[in-house]
Amino acid sequence: MNSPDLLPQQRRENPDPQERSTPMPRLVLILALVLVTFGVDYISHADVNSPSAWGDARTRAELVGDRPATGQGVDGGAIYAAMCAGCHQATGQGLPGVFPPLAGSEWVVGKAGTAAAIVLHGISGPIQVKGQDFNGTMPAFAGSLDDAEIAAVLSHVRRQWGNAAAPVTPEAVADTRAHHADRTTPFSGGDELAKLP
Amino acid sequence: MSPLAILMSAFILSIVGLGFFIWSQRAHLTDPSTEGSEVIFAAGEIGTPEEPAGPSSTTRSAADVDDAELLARARADASTAPLVFFFYCCALVWLLVASAAGLTASIKLHAPDWLTAEAWLSFGRIRTVHLNAVAYGWAPMAGLGTALFVIPRLLKTELVGGRYALLGAALWNAALVAGLGSLAYGVSDGLEWLEIPWQIDLLFVAGGALIGLPLILTLRRRQVAHLYVSVWYMGCALFWFPVLFLVANFPDLHHGVEQATMNWWFGHNVLGLFYTPLALASIYYFLPKVIGRPIQSYNLSLLGFWGLAFFYGQVGGHHLIGGPVPGWMVTLSIVQSMMMILPVAAFTANQHLTLKGNLGALRHSPTLRFMCLGGLMYTASSVQGSFEALRSMNAITHFTHYTVAHAHLGLYGFVSLVFFGAMYFVIPRITGRDWPWPRMISAHFWLASIGIAIYFVSLTIGGWLQGRAMLDESRGFMESVLLTLPYLKARSVGGAMMALGHVIFAAHFIRLLTARGASRRAQPASPFATAAEGI
Repeated sequence: MNSPDLLPQQRRENPDPQERSTPMPRLVLILALVLVTFGVDYISHADVNSPSAWGDARTRAELVGDRPATGQGVDGGAIYAAMCAGCHQATGQGLPGVFPPLAGSEWVVGKAGTAAAIVLHGISGPIQVKGQDFNGTMPAFAGSLDDAEIAAVLSHVRRQWGNAAAPVTPEAVADTRAHHADRTTPFSGGDELAKLP
Repeated sequence: MSPLAILMSAFILSIVGLGFFIWSQRAHLTDPSTEGSEVIFAAGEIGTPEEPAGPSSTTRSAADVDDAELLARARADASTAPLVFFFYCCALVWLLVASAAGLTASIKLHAPDWLTAEAWLSFGRIRTVHLNAVAYGWAPMAGLGTALFVIPRLLKTELVGGRYALLGAALWNAALVAGLGSLAYGVSDGLEWLEIPWQIDLLFVAGGALIGLPLILTLRRRQVAHLYVSVWYMGCALFWFPVLFLVANFPDLHHGVEQATMNWWFGHNVLGLFYTPLALASIYYFLPKVIGRPIQSYNLSLLGFWGLAFFYGQVGGHHLIGGPVPGWMVTLSIVQSMMMILPVAAFTANQHLTLKGNLGALRHSPTLRFMCLGGLMYTASSVQGSFEALRSMNAITHFTHYTVAHAHLGLYGFVSLVFFGAMYFVIPRITGRDWPWPRMISAHFWLASIGIAIYFVSLTIGGWLQGRAMLDESRGFMESVLLTLPYLKARSVGGAMMALGHVIFAAHFIRLLTARGASRRAQPASPFATAAEGI
C-alpha cells in the first residue's frame, strides 16, 4: 500500500480523541434518582382509565361543559332540542298518529305535578291529546335528567308554541319525584295519569 | 392487572434493565477480553489520577504524534475525500435552497399578499419545501458526509466500498429533487415530515442503504479493538434511520389514530435518532480533537448514549397530548421525555469537564466555537423539550409558534451549527486547501448565532402569548393571530441573518476551491486528485 501524501492540515492536527475513565459525577447519579422518582410519581397519578376517544387527560366534566346547580342557569330549550325534539319535533307538533303534540296539549299546560310525573317515568299505553288517540311509548327521564333540568325543560315547553302556563320550579319536580319514588314502570296511559293528584 | 400497574411495572423494570445493561457494559461482562478497556487510555495514563486543572502536560503537541497514526489518518482521509466532498457540496446547495424557502415562508406569515401569483410559492407548499430540504437535504448530507469522514479515521482503516456511497448519494439527491418538485407541484402524502410521496421514498430507501453499506463494510475491517463513542452514535444513526423511514413510509399500513401515532413516532425519532446522534458524534470527535484532550469520562459517554438510545424511541407520543390516543401511551412518552434529561446531562457534564480550562482555544478555532455553541444549544433545546412535554406546559405551547422556535433551537442552534463546525474542520483536510478568509468564518458564526438568538427569543415570546390568548375564551381567535405579528417580523429578521450567513459560507467555500496559491500543498490539489494519489 502506498503512503498517501501528508497534507499540512493533517500534520498539524491533534491526535484522534480518546476517553478517560473517570467515575461518573455524583450529581449525575442524584439526577438519575430524582428523575426516576419523578417518573414513578407521574405514572402513579396518571389517568389511564378514561376512554381514549375522549382525548388525553380529558374528564367527563370537561366534555359535558359547565352545568350550573340552579334551575335558572339550565337551558330548557337546549335540553328539549337534545332529548325531546326527536319525537315531539322542534315545532312541538309531534307526528300525527305517532307522537302527540306538545303545542296546545292539555297535559303540558295542565297540572305541573302531572307533567313532571310524565317526564320522570314515561308512558306506555293509550292517551288522548287534543282529541286524538295515541298509543305509544315515552321513555322515562328520572335517571338521566336532574330536577333542575326537568324543571327547565317543562318551563320551556309550557311557554312555547303559544302555550302560556306557569313555569315549574325544581322544588316542585323534587316533590313529584319523591311522591313517585317507588315507581319502576311507566304510567299505563291517560286514564292512570288523570287520577294523579 | 390494571393498565396503571402494567405501565408502572414496565417503566420500573425497563429502568432497572437499562441501569444493569449500562453497568454490564462498564464492567465488561459481555466483552470477550479486557483489552477493550485499555484502549481508551493513552500510554502511561493508567494509574495516574485525573487532574483536570493540570498544565498542558496532558495535551500533546502535533510534533509528538507518532507517524504511524498520522499515516493511518491520511490513508483514511484519502479514501473518503471525494465522497465527503460530494456530500458537502450537496449539503451546501440544499442549505441555500432551504434558507430561501424558509425565509420566503417566514415573510409570508406577516406579508400574506407577497408572491401570491404562483401556487408553488404559496405558504403551504414553500414551507413544506423548506422542511424537506432541511430534513432530507442539508442535515443528512452534512451529517452523513461527516460520518463518512470520521468513521474510517476512528477505525484506523480505509473506507471500503466508497463507490456504493457515491451511488447512494446520487440516488438520494435525485430522490430529493423529485420529492421537492412534487411538493412544489402540490403532490404530497399529507403527513408532516413524511410529505414526499412514497413512490419517491423508494429511491431514498435504496440510496440510504447504499450509503450505509460502506460503513458496515468498514466496521468489519476495523483496526481498533475499542469503538470510540462517536462510532456508536454514527453507526446507530445509520441503522435507526432506515428502520424509521421504511416503517413510516410503508404505504397503506397505518390508518386513523395509529397513523397519527406513527407520524409523530417518526417525526420525533428522525430528530432524536438520526440528526442528534450524527451531531453528537461530531461533537464527541471534534471537540476533544481541537483542544487536544481526551474526553473526560467513558462512563458518562455510556450513560449518554444508551440513555438516548433507550428513552428517545418512546417520546414521540407527547405530540399527541390532548388527542384521542390511549392515556398510558401519552403518559409514558411524557415520563420518558423527562427522563431524556439524564442522557443530556451526562453529555453536557462530559463536554463541560473536557472543555474546562481549555476555553482559550475558542479564540482561534472556528470549529470549536460552532461545536461549543451547538453543544450548549443541545442541552438547552433538550431540557426545554422535556418540560414542553409536560401536560401543563403543553396546554399553552402546543399549536403555537413556541414549538416552531423549539424545533429551530434543536435543528439549527444545535445540529446545523455543529455541522458547520465539522465542515470548517473537514474541508481543508479533504481539499488540501485552507480557508482563504478567516474573517468570513467569523461573519458566518456571528450571523448564525445572533440570527438564531433573535429567531428563538422572538418566537418563544410570541408563541407563549399566542398560546395564552388562545386559551382565554374572552378573547377572539383573531386576537391570538394578530398579537404574533411583531414577533413574526422579528423572526424574519433573524432568519434573514441566518440565510446571509449561509450565503457567506457558500461563497467562502467556492472561493476556497477557486483560489490560486491558497493551497499549502506542494502539488496542485483537487479532492479527486487526492483520492487518486492516496490509493
